[in-house]
Amino acid sequence: MLAFTVLTAIAAPLDIAKIDTGMILPGRYMRRHRRPGHDYGEAFLYDLRFDETGRPRRDFVLNDPAYHEAKILVAGGDFGCGSSREGAAFAVMDYGLRALLAPSFGEIFQVNCIQNGILAVTLAEPVIHDLWRQLRARPGSALTIDLPNQRLIAPDGMRHEFDIGPLRKDRLIRGIDDIDVTLEHLDGIEAFEAKRRARLPWLPAAKRDARA
Amino acid sequence: MSAPRTLFEKIWDEHVIVVSPQGEALLYVDFNLINEGQSFLAFDQLRMEGRRARRPEQHLAVTDHYLPTINRALGTAGMPNPEIRRVVEMLDENAAEFRLPHVGWFHPDQGIAHVIAPELGIAQPGMLITCNDSHTATNGACGALAVPIGGGNQLRHVVATQTVWLKQPKTMRISIDGRLPNAVTAKDVVLSVIREIGVGGATGYAVEYAGPAITAMSMEGRLTVCNMSIEAGARIGMIAPDETTYQFLAGSKNAPQDGDWDAALAYWQTLPTDADAVFDRELAFDAARFAPMVSWGTSPDDCSPVDGVVPDPAQIADAERRRHVERALDYMRLTPTTPLERIAIDRVFIGSCTNSRIEDLRAAAQVLKGRRAVVPGMVSPGSSAVKRQAESEGLDRIFIAAGLEWRDSGCSMCNGSNGELVAPGERCASTTNRNFEGRQGRGALTHIMSPAMVAAAALSGRLADVRRFD
Repeated sequence: MLAFTVLTAIAAPLDIAKIDTGMILPGRYMRRHRRPGHDYGEAFLYDLRFDETGRPRRDFVLNDPAYHEAKILVAGGDFGCGSSREGAAFAVMDYGLRALLAPSFGEIFQVNCIQNGILAVTLAEPVIHDLWRQLRARPGSALTIDLPNQRLIAPDGMRHEFDIGPLRKDRLIRGIDDIDVTLEHLDGIEAFEAKRRARLPWLPAAKRDARA
Repeated sequence: MSAPRTLFEKIWDEHVIVVSPQGEALLYVDFNLINEGQSFLAFDQLRMEGRRARRPEQHLAVTDHYLPTINRALGTAGMPNPEIRRVVEMLDENAAEFRLPHVGWFHPDQGIAHVIAPELGIAQPGMLITCNDSHTATNGACGALAVPIGGGNQLRHVVATQTVWLKQPKTMRISIDGRLPNAVTAKDVVLSVIREIGVGGATGYAVEYAGPAITAMSMEGRLTVCNMSIEAGARIGMIAPDETTYQFLAGSKNAPQDGDWDAALAYWQTLPTDADAVFDRELAFDAARFAPMVSWGTSPDDCSPVDGVVPDPAQIADAERRRHVERALDYMRLTPTTPLERIAIDRVFIGSCTNSRIEDLRAAAQVLKGRRAVVPGMVSPGSSAVKRQAESEGLDRIFIAAGLEWRDSGCSMCNGSNGELVAPGERCASTTNRNFEGRQGRGALTHIMSPAMVAAAALSGRLADVRRFD
């Protein structure tokens, strides 16, 4: 997982509320393999970015060339509500975003983002509105997000603090996900497993066979 | 002498490897079941990271959600939808690449994960079992702690480490006292409980079902009850192991052998809840007051005894509940105060991880025997073993003679991701677990009930009280 410490990058204002995970990753992409060079980046907000014929919608903010290098999205309330589909977080990541700022998030989606190295933090609604105003005034402006100090620096130089749980913050800064944290306990897992197998030797074990 | 503990607490404690400073426990996973759902996301990620399965023999990949229940002999050509075919193939490929045991579509054990895990003796008392499916609690009927996990990162974590991070839930005991009246089944019990406590009534709890009516149930009935725990909000549902459990397990393929059996039995007998153990919440129901149930709305708690009527929103004081009922009746195309037995249906479905075991098929066949359904429908046994058993008892001939289709095993019309759908506006009497809007297909009108009640509906062309068919 990519570590997240301090990021200075172009931010895009997306002032639509209640963008659910089904808009972030439309259902028809859910049956799709994800691998390098063929990831979920294309699917990200597809129906907002493209019209029925597959042509980019000119009036959609992310299609403005000023935002093509954006790594931060300043979104509306309840961003990522709805279905628990984890592919939505992959779509955000594969599109190239590293941070999401919004007044509120769908809870499962927010956890999925952080689990995948995307900083998703909430800011008060007036702060979000103010950021939208500044970003629209100068498209392509950059924000700085300083995770160790839990601080955001707006284009106008104003500083805004944000909250994040200590566990999530630590994992993001160190660039480790749940598996890495768990593997720090690998000795404990192996000792536990050996003892359990010795005590309950009958626990089922399956075999691969040719009849699948 | 340690403090008295519940069944859940004993198994939970037994599996804790470490507790994080934030209070989440790292638990050992004895066995994990994998369906094709979104599991390919977990495998895609594992592949990109170069990780492997840490304990492949403690997993079983089971193709059930996307696998059609017809035309199997045609191979992939029998799956005309290329996207569905691709999801099925991806599990084949992922199981092979990660060296995971796999019950795929031509395997003699093929079936729905939560039907075959108990059947094969994989779900045993005291085990911690995970699966990327919300109905994983089904396996709790065998006295196991069975927990649903997410199909992406959580599954990836279980495959890579054979452990899972969980926050310890609170405990709830639901006691069903007394004896069930004639024609009242496990499905009616769990629907009655859900109706009473609501779809969020057990959220955040691990539920233990207990009491004389539960103890008197067969394993099939207990599996049905635990299966629908999630429909009351509980991710975990379980029943203490007893003689019924041991007898069910004894004949299974993965049962402890020879000397291990006695040791296993001695261990299993230590698991039931201690007499003085305290639950965070206790609920008790009187079995004698239960009746055959049917759902009328778009949520599993929207149900009623079959001799009732469609509720009238105007009589509902709570504004939020009233809005829900109005919307549900609009979707379901029902008029307030209509007697439930006057609701005409278009088709029936018997199957799903809730009600597709041999006892369920026998109950439906008993009603249908020598009679003819007046609507079309299909029967999908929960596993290939159930199918073979049913055919050896001649149940297939009863269904076919009644005019119903006799299918192969799979999730089929319960979740529809395999292409087996109820058409828009069609009304289906179904033995499944969910009646949410669009669950069985866009615009599908689902009424959930027990297998015998579905059979009665098939014969009547309406929702019907099975007690009239005795």
